[in-house]
Amino acid sequence: MYRALWRIRLFETHVQRLAAKGEVPGFPHLSIGQEAVAVGVCAHLTREDVLFTSHRGHGHVLAKGSDLQATFAEILGRESGLCRGRGGSMHLVDASNGVLGATGVVAGNLALAAGAAWAAQATGRKTISVAFFGDGATGAGAFHETLNLAALWRLPVLFVCENNGYAEFTSREEHSNVTQVSSFAAPYRIPTKTIDGNDLPTVYAAAHEAIATLRNGEGPYLLECMTFRMTGHYVGDAQHYRSKEELAALKEKCPIERLQRQLLQQGVAQAELDSLAQQATDEVQQAVDGARAAPRPHPATVLDDVYRSPALHGTPG
Amino acid sequence: MEQTFIEILRRALDEELSRDASVYLLGEDVAAGGAFGVTRGLADKFGAQRVRNTPISEAAITGVATGAALCGLKPVLEIMFIDFATLAMDTLVNQTAKYRYMSGGQLAVPLVVRTQAGAAGGAAAQHSQSLESWFMHVPGLVVVAPSSPAEAYGLLKSAIRLGEPVLFVEHKRLYTMKESLVDDAELPPIGLARIARAGTDVTLIAYSAMVRSAIDAAQKLSRSGISAEVIDLRTLVPLDMATIADSVARTHRVVIAHEAVLNGGAGAEIAARIGTELFDELDAPVTRVGCPFAPIPFAPELEEALLPRSDDIVTAVRNLLGVDA
Amino acid sequence: MTRRAVEIPKVGLVMENARLVRWLKNVGDSVKAGEPLLELETEKSIVEIEATLSGRLAEILLQPDQEAKVGDRVAWVETDEPESAVTPAPASQASAPKSAPTRPARADVQSNQRIRSTPVARRRAAEHNVDLGRISGSGPLGRVQLQDVERALGATDRGAGALSPMRRALARAMALSNATVPQFNVGRAVDMSTLQALRGEFSAGLAKESPKLSVNDFLLQAVARTLLEIPALNATFSGDPSSPDARIVPANGVHLGLVVALDDGLLVPVIHHVERFGLTELAARRADVVERALQGRLKRDELEGATFSISNLGADGPDRFTALINPPQSAILAAGRQRDCVVANNGKIEVRPLCELTLTVDHRVADGRLASSFLARLAQILEGRDWRVDG
Repeated sequence: MYRALWRIRLFETHVQRLAAKGEVPGFPHLSIGQEAVAVGVCAHLTREDVLFTSHRGHGHVLAKGSDLQATFAEILGRESGLCRGRGGSMHLVDASNGVLGATGVVAGNLALAAGAAWAAQATGRKTISVAFFGDGATGAGAFHETLNLAALWRLPVLFVCENNGYAEFTSREEHSNVTQVSSFAAPYRIPTKTIDGNDLPTVYAAAHEAIATLRNGEGPYLLECMTFRMTGHYVGDAQHYRSKEELAALKEKCPIERLQRQLLQQGVAQAELDSLAQQATDEVQQAVDGARAAPRPHPATVLDDVYRSPALHGTPG
Repeated sequence: MEQTFIEILRRALDEELSRDASVYLLGEDVAAGGAFGVTRGLADKFGAQRVRNTPISEAAITGVATGAALCGLKPVLEIMFIDFATLAMDTLVNQTAKYRYMSGGQLAVPLVVRTQAGAAGGAAAQHSQSLESWFMHVPGLVVVAPSSPAEAYGLLKSAIRLGEPVLFVEHKRLYTMKESLVDDAELPPIGLARIARAGTDVTLIAYSAMVRSAIDAAQKLSRSGISAEVIDLRTLVPLDMATIADSVARTHRVVIAHEAVLNGGAGAEIAARIGTELFDELDAPVTRVGCPFAPIPFAPELEEALLPRSDDIVTAVRNLLGVDA
Repeated sequence: MTRRAVEIPKVGLVMENARLVRWLKNVGDSVKAGEPLLELETEKSIVEIEATLSGRLAEILLQPDQEAKVGDRVAWVETDEPESAVTPAPASQASAPKSAPTRPARADVQSNQRIRSTPVARRRAAEHNVDLGRISGSGPLGRVQLQDVERALGATDRGAGALSPMRRALARAMALSNATVPQFNVGRAVDMSTLQALRGEFSAGLAKESPKLSVNDFLLQAVARTLLEIPALNATFSGDPSSPDARIVPANGVHLGLVVALDDGLLVPVIHHVERFGLTELAARRADVVERALQGRLKRDELEGATFSISNLGADGPDRFTALINPPQSAILAAGRQRDCVVANNGKIEVRPLCELTLTVDHRVADGRLASSFLARLAQILEGRDWRVDG
């Protein structure tokens, strides 16, 4: 898991670096500093369990086990990317790995996750569905509609809120009087817990407990992970809205540094940690190199996959 | 045996639920039969899981249906009025329609959204609209608008089997229309228009309830020696330009009729396509008949005054041909 | 205030279709009965059509270059007559998608020189190498539609030798003449020496701007006088001879047709009340109608009303020829070229300028003796010195 944290961190650092060089189309959103939530939750998921994430989803997709190079290639818009360059950073899908999608619309993924859970429930499959979302999504009607419906239908869906204190550029206090996202669970009678999302063992334990209730058929669970976005809302965000002191304090809370301290205290050798970090570095570097060398999609394929059959397209091509 | 539009829809759903275990119905009140009774009795037969009542949460239930479709179900979602599809727009437009494309073809959304549209009986401005053209504007969606009970039967079954997100627009004025089904008739493929009446002087293009008005108009015109061909489009996306082209190449004149307001309506798209693709066939300007740019009023006199009728089509054709009205 | 329809009148004997050249009034103009209202191009010429009622021109239904049939409604005039005094305008044919459009005209139509046509009409015309400008459009605003091109193609498809509208009209008229009018001829040579001497004399006394006197002017006056003296030929035969309704309708005044040869046919403009005018005035009127016949700009009534025509093929013409009657007229005089001939005069051989006249007469109207008398009297006048020059 230490290596997994590093993989996400390094992967996103590369995204950040290449985005700054103009190699990444669009506006990728990074989750640097929030890696522990992705790793701690996804550690309990099988390949058949499905995952829906938000615009800030690179970490979740990697933690679920998607291929580094294919994911990076997608973020670069390459033909060998997960979605053949059609989706990009905000729309990562890796169906065979249970990553059913990232969405660029805040709160747009929650009902889909509930629907996937309904499909599992209706067909008697024991798989579960996980939806990652930011605290900003709680202002959307779809959040409340979905919580209500999921609770009513006792759907096996885990709602994981990454409460990084910022909804895009505006702090939580300016968004809502309800500072604790978990307080929304009570009226719908959904079990919930608010935890330190930057502490991997805490996340791991809480996710284990939550997912167990789901697998027992007890209905949905809302896990609120307090975390910290160490970078801006998107790559290039100058973050004028955060103080220098605040940014410095965030470094202290870095989930990787915290896990490293814990592991060293538990007697794990520094060399072993360095080796894991180095492995992650090599893996990611290889993936990034491979993705950057990957072919770009051919313009002639631009109308592929709008519909299954070109006959349905029916428009002047 | 003659059956109403509603009974025939129920029969189609019943048969598809029986035929394919992955077909599920969901929507507000569907277990109780739905607002118009289309699904009456189906929950008893197939159980509450297969015929699932939902809260009044159009955004969530459209998302749930989409998510379930991603995971192997073939949901048939009922949105009680197309006017309420506005509440599900994010999901339909940003998620449902784009999944296949954004995933690079990894995923499909075999979802049918049944909804009901059009003006009748003083349903007024928020329960009478014809908003189908909005959905024509979204790549990835299929838009079907049947014109009769028998058509609805075949098209609904084809839509359920299509494997794409389909907006299936039923017109409330057709709900009481009765028709007999032809036994073992082949299901119409999605995307193939039908010649509802053959003619030689002018092509009337319509869909949904306006097909009946167009046929009425054609009958009236035939009395003054004008032979009108009526095309029932059946689907707006995809648009069957081949059938349109074949007809226009024979008649060289077109009137497009729909109940929706003319501004930005389906007729605008069809007219543009004809103008571009069939320009050299035209012997007269492509003409549209539709609602004036106003909400649907409540009072029966006002509703009647606003809605396009067969006489409006007749007048449009006469003007096109330069014949006294 | 009430609206009355303006309809296409029948112009000439065999008119079927006419093409609108232009309106002489605009919508909103006041119109008086008898005032020129529009110009139509018929098989024979462009004719001015006069208003038959007074009022305000309210709506124009036929645009320039569009075709119309006799009886087609082409405009509405608002009159001051009370409603009840008016019989409803006849409804146009119910089943005719081909009839005139009913859209109100746009003011700028006439100034727009572009040929309005539909895409399919243009395509079909291009495929068959047909000039759209030669096709009159039946669509709104005179737009050339597919049916117009196909009608034109239908005509072309009959191959080389297809009839022009004028040739068709002539063919019909002459066939009708030959088939229905029993005709016989009488001939006589006229000594032109006196006439030519007088022509020079009279012409010398004319104002410079006046048209020169021609032999035709003398022929017109002489025929008019003869017809007044022998009015049996100044009439038209009407109806089926075996029908009790058959009539010989005498004319009021002398109205003479003068055959004018054109490149692809001929026209017979009519000079009315020839008996009222001296040679000078006849020359002026003759010159005017001949000129306008050559231009195709004759008015409707200038093609109608004659009982008798004169055909003179001129100095380069044949010695003598016979002409066919132009129905419903009763006779036609064919004048051969003037030439010097050796004649016996009081036992002496002389050379005189002679012109051979051949008169064709409708046998239903008159017989040989009358025709002979007519020709004799005509020759006498032509060879005499009794001419009315002025007035």
